[in-house]
Amino acid sequence: MPNMPLMRLTAAEKAAFKDGFVDMMGPAPGVLAWGLVTGVAMVKMGLGTIPAAAISITSYAGSAQLASLPLVVGGAAWWVIWLTAIVINLRFTVYAATLGQLFAEAKPWHRVLLGYFNGDVTFLRLLAHLERRPDEPHRFAFYWGAVAGNWLAWQIGSLLGIFAATQIPVSWALEVAGTLALVAVLAPALRNRPAVLGAAVAGLLSYASRNLPLHLGVMVGLLAGIATAMAAAPRAGREAGA
Amino acid sequence: MTASDWLYMVLLVTATALTRSTLVLLGNRISLPPRVESALRYAPACALSAILLPQLLTTAQGQLIGWQGSAALWAAVATTVTMWLSRSMLLAIVCGMAAYWLFRAVGVPV
Repeated sequence: MPNMPLMRLTAAEKAAFKDGFVDMMGPAPGVLAWGLVTGVAMVKMGLGTIPAAAISITSYAGSAQLASLPLVVGGAAWWVIWLTAIVINLRFTVYAATLGQLFAEAKPWHRVLLGYFNGDVTFLRLLAHLERRPDEPHRFAFYWGAVAGNWLAWQIGSLLGIFAATQIPVSWALEVAGTLALVAVLAPALRNRPAVLGAAVAGLLSYASRNLPLHLGVMVGLLAGIATAMAAAPRAGREAGA
Repeated sequence: MTASDWLYMVLLVTATALTRSTLVLLGNRISLPPRVESALRYAPACALSAILLPQLLTTAQGQLIGWQGSAALWAAVATTVTMWLSRSMLLAIVCGMAAYWLFRAVGVPV
C-alpha cells in the first residue's frame, strides 16, 4: 500500500497489518511499562497533566522526553533542550536511512509518517520480519500494524502514568524510575570501547561543568564525548556488532 | 498549557520529526557514509550519559555524593547489570527501584 488509501486495504493487506500488530504484543508490556514510567516522571517533575499528555501524544519520544525534563525544570536554554532531544533521537536517524530504502516507493508524505511513527521496537520487528520473509509483499501493512501496536501500548501506558501520578505517594519516589528507564536505554549501548569511552567523557565533563549557566555543561560533555568516541572508533567504518 | 509548555512541546515535536522523518523522506537517494553512521550511533549514548551522570553523582542538594554513594546511583548500577543480564527493560527498572528503596531504607542518602 505505497499510496495508502488506509480504509481500502485488500484482505491480504489486512492480514499483514494484523500480523504486524500481533507481532508487537510480545514487547508491548515492556513498552507500556516504559510509557507508564515516563508519564509518572513527567508529572512528578512538575509538568501539568494536560501539558504532559499533549507532549506525550504529539512528540512520542520516550527517552527524549525523560532526558529533557531535568533541563526544562532546571531552566536550561531552549536550544540546549532542543539539541539534547535531537541527539538522543539520533539513533532514529540511523533507522530512518534504512526505512528510506525499504519504503522508497511510497509517496513523500507517506514516508514522513512512516518515519515519524517509527520506534526502536517497531524498527527491530520489521527487520526481523523481513529476514524471515524477504519476499513479504505487504511490508507497508505489516509495518503499520506494528506501529499501531507500539503506539497504543506507549500512549496507554503514558496516559495511565500521567493521570495516576498524583495518586502515587511521594515517598515511593517513582520519578526515579524515569531516570532508571534512561539508564536501561544507555546500558545496552555500552558494548564497545568507543561507546564506553565516549559516554564516560561525556558524563564526567558534563558533571564537571554542571554549574555553567543554562545547562551548557550538557552540550560541553556531549560534544567532547562524541569526539572521543569518533577518535576511538575503528577507521574501517562499520563496527562488528554495532 | 502555559507558553513554556507550548515551547517545550514544539521543541520535542520538531526534534522527533527532524531525526525520524528527514532521511525516510529522502528515500533511497541517500545512504549514510560509515563514519557519519558511526557518529550517529555513538551520539545518543553520549547524550544520555551527559544527562545522567551529573544527576547520579550529586545529592538532591547538588553536592558530590560521599563514599557510600547514593540510593539513585546504586539503583542505576542494579538497572545496568539487570539490563545486561536479562535485556528486559521492565525487569531492569523493577530491580533498580527495589535497589533504590533498599539502599534508602538502610540510610544511604538519596
